[in-house]
Amino acid sequence: MKTRIKEFRAKCGMTQEDLARKVGVRRETILFLEKGKYNPSLKLAHDVAKALKTSIDKLFIF
Amino acid sequence: MKKRNDKSRLVAIVLVSIAVIVTGAFFSLGSLKEGDVVGAVLGSIIAITILFFAVIVFVRGSTSLKEGFPLHDERSRKVLEKASSKAFYVSLYVLLGIGFVSDELIAFRDISQATSVAVGVMAILFAVFWAYYSRREI
Repeated sequence: MKTRIKEFRAKCGMTQEDLARKVGVRRETILFLEKGKYNPSLKLAHDVAKALKTSIDKLFIF
Repeated sequence: MKKRNDKSRLVAIVLVSIAVIVTGAFFSLGSLKEGDVVGAVLGSIIAITILFFAVIVFVRGSTSLKEGFPLHDERSRKVLEKASSKAFYVSLYVLLGIGFVSDELIAFRDISQATSVAVGVMAILFAVFWAYYSRREI
């Protein structure tokens, strides 16, 4: 699975720490999400998409 | 509220770790007094391993809380679940192996020593699997 989290995060001017705090997860989780090494729950995917002001289908490429 | 729960959980982890380490130390001292060097060494290894991982867990946890991150999230819970299930599964075989060699290679002092070794093996396996899955794709 590929993700565009890093790209959208940069557009929003957020760091991994900022995004982690905003969605209430640990920083490592964001790191693994960006690397595509973690399949998030639907809730987390929704929260990340909302925090980055985009939609799930634009953020995650299956 | 969640942060308070996380703090309580961290304190509980520390207290349980201290209890296990103290028990391990008493076990080692008791074994040493009875002249059981193998038991004393095993008890010490288990206590030191638990101390090592307890320090890592405490430092990571307190740093996360100070920086405003949760102690656990969905990924860390998944890692815990996977590590504990794998540790249980593998420990069945390890315990079976210990059972086979216990009469010839290892002479346990009594049932409590054999049980302590079994629990120690499970704890070490859990720690190893936790460290492994923390860095892997899950």
